[in-house]
Amino acid sequence: MDFDLGDRAAQLRTTLRSMIEREVPAGFLGAFTNDPNDLAVTQRFCKRLAEDNLLTWAWPVEYGGRGGSMWDQTVIREEMWAHHEPRGAQYMGLNWVGPAVMAFGTDEQKAFHLTAIGAGDVIWCQGFSEPDAGSDLASLKTRADAAPDGNGWRINGQKIWTSYAEMAQFCVLAARTSTGARKHEGITLFLLPMDRAGITVQPIKSMLGRHHLNEVFFEGVEVYENEVLGAVGDGWRVIRHALTFERVGIARYARCERLLSLLESELAASGEEMSANVRALFMRALIHTRVARLLAYRVVHQQEIGALSDADASAARIAVTQCDQFVAEMLFQAIESDSLRDAKSGAPIYGAIEDHWRYAQAATIASGTIEIQRQLVARAALGGSR
Amino acid sequence: MNPVPPDEAIAFGDAARSAFESLGGVDLARSAETDGDVRQRALTTLERLGVPDLDVLGDADSLAAAVELCREAGRVVLPAPAAAMCTGGVVAIDATTPVVDHGDLLPEWAGVDVATGVVTAYVADGSRFASRLGPFATAMKATDRATGVDSHLGTAWMVLSGAVLLGVVDRAIELALDHVRNREQFGQKISEFQAVQFQIADAVTAAKGLRELVNFTAWRVSIDIDASISDAMALRVYALDTARAVLRTTQQLHGASGMCDEYDISILVRHAQPYLRLPFGVERTVDVLDAAVRTHGFAGLFPHGGRR
Repeated sequence: MDFDLGDRAAQLRTTLRSMIEREVPAGFLGAFTNDPNDLAVTQRFCKRLAEDNLLTWAWPVEYGGRGGSMWDQTVIREEMWAHHEPRGAQYMGLNWVGPAVMAFGTDEQKAFHLTAIGAGDVIWCQGFSEPDAGSDLASLKTRADAAPDGNGWRINGQKIWTSYAEMAQFCVLAARTSTGARKHEGITLFLLPMDRAGITVQPIKSMLGRHHLNEVFFEGVEVYENEVLGAVGDGWRVIRHALTFERVGIARYARCERLLSLLESELAASGEEMSANVRALFMRALIHTRVARLLAYRVVHQQEIGALSDADASAARIAVTQCDQFVAEMLFQAIESDSLRDAKSGAPIYGAIEDHWRYAQAATIASGTIEIQRQLVARAALGGSR
Repeated sequence: MNPVPPDEAIAFGDAARSAFESLGGVDLARSAETDGDVRQRALTTLERLGVPDLDVLGDADSLAAAVELCREAGRVVLPAPAAAMCTGGVVAIDATTPVVDHGDLLPEWAGVDVATGVVTAYVADGSRFASRLGPFATAMKATDRATGVDSHLGTAWMVLSGAVLLGVVDRAIELALDHVRNREQFGQKISEFQAVQFQIADAVTAAKGLRELVNFTAWRVSIDIDASISDAMALRVYALDTARAVLRTTQQLHGASGMCDEYDISILVRHAQPYLRLPFGVERTVDVLDAAVRTHGFAGLFPHGGRR
């Protein structure tokens, strides 16, 4: 029994932290603000990572990566999320679009897309959810009908909650090419350029901030055979494969822990103390972040030995997302009325706590609601009998 | 990185489970309330398993084995001081109101005061409470005898009492699962109701978290005994929060049956109480954790408390 991630992982963590300190300005809260400089920071940071061969560290060597272990990948996830994801929207291309292309793409797709992703040149968005297909994703209705001239398909439909759609150059789009006996059949995945005629992106104003949520409309959008990822009609299998990369989920606990640490520093610098009740909440926040991290590590270990338990993955998701919200509320209790300020109006820790609270509200919705995760845990415990 | 306990420790736990089940499982706790010989039999079983030979501070594998044994003891709320037997009769204690579960069972104890770390010798002060919630809890009195024990054994006892609570939680969930799979109301198994499923999911998730935290804390004790007082206190807070919530949920899922001693969940809820209340409850434990973090810090990805 050993909970040390090892020297190589520790060294990687140190390298990433120094690079972040050098390249990312203090007060950076992610690329999804109204400040175009923030997007520029992420684009520059990805280029720097690519130059040092760190961007695709986790990818297999044959695709230009460094064959990083599961624990290396864990360190990258933790450090990036803890520091407000200085890779910006590109994490999606690196974390699962790239690996899905490796698994299902043609040689041509691999050559084009993996090169672009690996160079830090491209932003992807994910066209999965629809107004009537959220948790029940397989009910999606966006259609890809055979083109009248027999050359490819024409896409008609609507996607929703699509993060980064305004800035993305490509979309992994799930559309129905046929109607099978089961709703999981007949779905096809397309690697679609976002500048193609007929695509309209409509930002959704939300508490999360700019770029997080969009609607995307498709009207007669042309898509071709060479843009299909995997086989036609076999998209559900590709989606399931892609989602296995998401099983560990975002290392939310890492940002939680960093913010708790920053709060302590801020209070120490000003000579202030938390009240006894808030201090008690702070202690529980530390414990929740540790438990969430340990549950995530259990899942990583299972992936490493090829024995992933879906129930453990869902339990980790539940713990991590609830930790995110617990810490968000705890931090608000600590800063009291300053919780109403944002970065521009003088919030403590350059607005990171206010930003965290807003973003944490979506933690139990994004990438699979907590209700679905609970159902998976319960089903496993009850032996499938529900 | 490997979060899995060593094979030998798991085998030791398996042997303990067989021994405890052959003694009667939860029935042992049930009968111990009225049959004075039962606790002695449980104590003898712990000795036969080799518990007194464990070196929980000197050897990480010994501590891991003790964790597995205590977990099994918790599963049947073994009517004997399993955690204290692993630490050679050392417990964490509140020196202002010293009470020890099964304090009447050993002739001599050493108590590590949680607030000060001072070690004092104790003997039973009268007979056990014989109450419903503390059937074997015993008031203690300090003696002048020099104990010569390492105060870190109090930290180890904290970890092992967390392992006992993990066993209690695991068993309570199994009992509830068994009940909801079989109990029918409104023409269906009550496990079909999503309200029931969600309660199960939350209990299972908390139990999985407690399992990881117990193992992690044992590892921390084995690599940094001084700072691990923070870890042991953190485990205790999480174990108390989890056990109280899970016992409440699982007893609720049993309906009125859950209050009846013929159902194991009732014995589990009653006999787990000393582990939840001694040396003191969760909110004071949070205060002690706070003090420990200020002094020793809190191991993690970023600095906290004393070690910045």
